[in-house]
Amino acid sequence: MLVNFVRGAPVEWLLDPEAEPWLKAKPQRIAMIGTPVGLQPTEAIRAGWANKPIGAVHEVQVSALHNGEVLAFRLEWADATENKELGDTTAFSDAAAVLLPVVPGAPVITMGAPNLPVNAWYWRADSDAQGREVLAEGIGSSRTVDVSLVHGHGVWKGGRWKVVISRALQVNSPEKCAQLTAGQKTEFAVAIWDGADAERGGIKAFNGAWLELQLAPVAGGGKG
Amino acid sequence: MSNRQVAMVFDLNKCLGCQTCVIACKRLWTRDEGMAYMWWASVNTQPGRGTPRDWEKSGGGFKDGVAQSGKLPTKKDFGDAWEFNHEEVFYGGKGQSAHLKIVGEEPDWGPNWDEDQGAGEYPNAYYFYLPRICNHCTKPACLESCPRKAIVKREEDGIVLIDEDRCRGYRFCMEACPYKKIYFNHVKKVAQKCIFCFPRVEQGVAPACSRMCPGRVRFVGYKDDENGPIWKLVEKYKVAIPLHPEFGTDPNIFYVPPIAPPRYDEAGNLDESKPRIPDEYLVSLFGPKVLETLATLKAEMAKTRAGGKSEVLDVLIAYQWKTMFGGLDRDPATIEWTKS
Repeated sequence: MLVNFVRGAPVEWLLDPEAEPWLKAKPQRIAMIGTPVGLQPTEAIRAGWANKPIGAVHEVQVSALHNGEVLAFRLEWADATENKELGDTTAFSDAAAVLLPVVPGAPVITMGAPNLPVNAWYWRADSDAQGREVLAEGIGSSRTVDVSLVHGHGVWKGGRWKVVISRALQVNSPEKCAQLTAGQKTEFAVAIWDGADAERGGIKAFNGAWLELQLAPVAGGGKG
Repeated sequence: MSNRQVAMVFDLNKCLGCQTCVIACKRLWTRDEGMAYMWWASVNTQPGRGTPRDWEKSGGGFKDGVAQSGKLPTKKDFGDAWEFNHEEVFYGGKGQSAHLKIVGEEPDWGPNWDEDQGAGEYPNAYYFYLPRICNHCTKPACLESCPRKAIVKREEDGIVLIDEDRCRGYRFCMEACPYKKIYFNHVKKVAQKCIFCFPRVEQGVAPACSRMCPGRVRFVGYKDDENGPIWKLVEKYKVAIPLHPEFGTDPNIFYVPPIAPPRYDEAGNLDESKPRIPDEYLVSLFGPKVLETLATLKAEMAKTRAGGKSEVLDVLIAYQWKTMFGGLDRDPATIEWTKS
């Protein structure tokens, strides 16, 4: 997927999934599958989900833009119910995340591996604006390393979520977060959680493999 | 496994159901935002559906060492936190005409809803009180279920704690705990539960529920302390046993099972041929070992009736209040507490 450069695009635009620049971006349709129950990190979760379907969302449309400083992903998917309140112990929030490798060769299916970290930019509907910078080095190792770097905003209308998740290309963090540069080629993956199906943690839909992510250079027009 | 393990023994023959332990815990720990419906310490009447409603049938724990799936109780199952018209009654000038009532939807369950109902028919009706806290299990299902590794069992005392910084509110722990003693804080969006008053234990002070108990029901101490009450009641005399041992988590709260008064037969005479509380009911709660435990207790009681001495009954009677705390008998008023 090509990440177009939009000169001078203010972050407020990028964070509005219904803003003009997004409507022009051609999204990539990505097929989603449920995470395998055998790969869930604990036996109790494997026991609890052995006979339940995982991965309620089957397709997500993804586009991405950057303005030279901030990279934003826009994810759109069908979801019949908007779940953003945790009003009961049994209620869970819809959520989405974009996964980036921190080092080349980090596996996506196991959320990284020891010394092969991956970096998730995570958004959850119940805390819409505040995204999470998450690092993982293998199944069950995810940890939030920052709650100020990643921003998000979701709009649910007519059975569809439109969600933007953004972060600065370069971040000042003592952690091994993905550091990005305009013009570079990297990879990404996506995950969607359906709160109505009690999806959370490793119980989610994901695309299962890295996809190419080409950031356009800042000069625009592909001239570098 | 931890190096040492704190534990409690609850003597069900002494519990009055007064709820003082429940309030002691409430006032100390669960008054912050999102905690109104939480009762880390609870006391329910048995037989009964308990809190959360029907928790005994809601799954989790281990069967033959294999984790079992469990259900999430709803807020209503826990009993929720009812709102009352305090303003109107106490401050609205209508003290004579307005009566205290629940505001909003009429509840159909509460944290102590079936109090004193019990079972059986007059004159042989029966019930007893069952105090519960987190069991700080040796094999905690909550800890094993958490994909965030947010739950720890402390090496030094075996207390099971949830790290609220790591917790993401997924509630797998609530499903996994077969005792359903974990709550979800809807404001902080994290799971919370009994902490065995660890800041007090660290200072040599017994947990608030046990220290405040007017009935001298709740013994405290380290399991391996041969001078303390826990070792004597659990290991030496074997009169205290865990609740639902078949849940497979190896709990560290133990119960001295209840012995009810004798039954009456149809002619109105005492009938000691069978117990008032059916054995099968106690077996369903405490496992088959409860019968041996009851036999031991009855033998000890017979011994003292015949004029003999019984160390186990002396321990249970707790002539000296401080002996109940296994050395954790420091007065909390002697400490300057700070909230970090």
